[in-house]
Amino acid sequence: MFIIDDILLRQMGITIPGLDLIWTLEQIRGFAHREMYNPEKIKNRIKENRLLFELGEMTIDEYEKNNAELLQELKLAELGAEMNLGVRTDILGAR
Amino acid sequence: MNTVGQESGRYVYCMIKSQGEKKSFGNIGFAGEEVYTLEYRDFAPVVSNAAVKKYEVSDEDVELHRRVEEQVMKEHSVLPVAYGMVFKNKKLLLFAMSAGYKAMKKAMNEVDNRVELGVKVFLPKEAAAWDGKEKCKSDFMEALKKKAVQSKELKLFSDRLVLNTSFLVDKDKIDDFSGEVGQLGNKYANLKLQYSGPWPPYNFVDIQILSRRKGGFR
Repeated sequence: MFIIDDILLRQMGITIPGLDLIWTLEQIRGFAHREMYNPEKIKNRIKENRLLFELGEMTIDEYEKNNAELLQELKLAELGAEMNLGVRTDILGAR
Repeated sequence: MNTVGQESGRYVYCMIKSQGEKKSFGNIGFAGEEVYTLEYRDFAPVVSNAAVKKYEVSDEDVELHRRVEEQVMKEHSVLPVAYGMVFKNKKLLLFAMSAGYKAMKKAMNEVDNRVELGVKVFLPKEAAAWDGKEKCKSDFMEALKKKAVQSKELKLFSDRLVLNTSFLVDKDKIDDFSGEVGQLGNKYANLKLQYSGPWPPYNFVDIQILSRRKGGFR
């Protein structure tokens, strides 16, 4: 099935203000999604949390609470990556 | 976990040089299982019988894996194996070893009688915008590289990290290296220093065999 959508129109040099706004919002949402659910960034925060604890900047309770939250975030992020969340799929297409 | 008549999996902690016979390290493995050696040519994988499953990353389990490696490295040079490597049976494990034999041999030559030492330099909260980072980093690297066989700069996973480097050091030069770290620590007393080890040479062995993604034998 062939659908004329904003990407096709953009390639043809045609912009429609409404679609442009949607496109921009999608880009912002995509960026926020990548920032929030980026497994590498979450792993960095897990390591930083551990280091802050080891250097005495937080108590064991704070460390364990943060760590549990971050591990949960990581699990979700990895699940999201496996499921390709955030990737627009053409469910009506022939692919 | 073990079904009667069915061979259990083998969880691999690390590799050491062949001992010529089975060596036991006690019941310190997962689920209190015995940690012992198998034999493959001049290598001995250090294993315990274990369930074949995905080993989730948790502080306790990673710590157990690390503790076993540390116990083993008290007496032997080790090739560390990544956390979570479990083989369905002994035959598959030995097959993996045959595939990686050359790489393991080369790696053992590089790390034999050497240990990994970690140095992290961290900015205090109030000095996050300090402009001496580059000078500090080069001072540490220049001095410590002279005392080490190899070094590996690791990811700066925090904005406050100035240096995160692992060094491969001859066992008989650990004191010399530690002395140098102490002097640098005094020079940069305003910064937080974390000096850790001796560790198995995690960052100097990177062998990946029969793994679908990074995380095989490393």
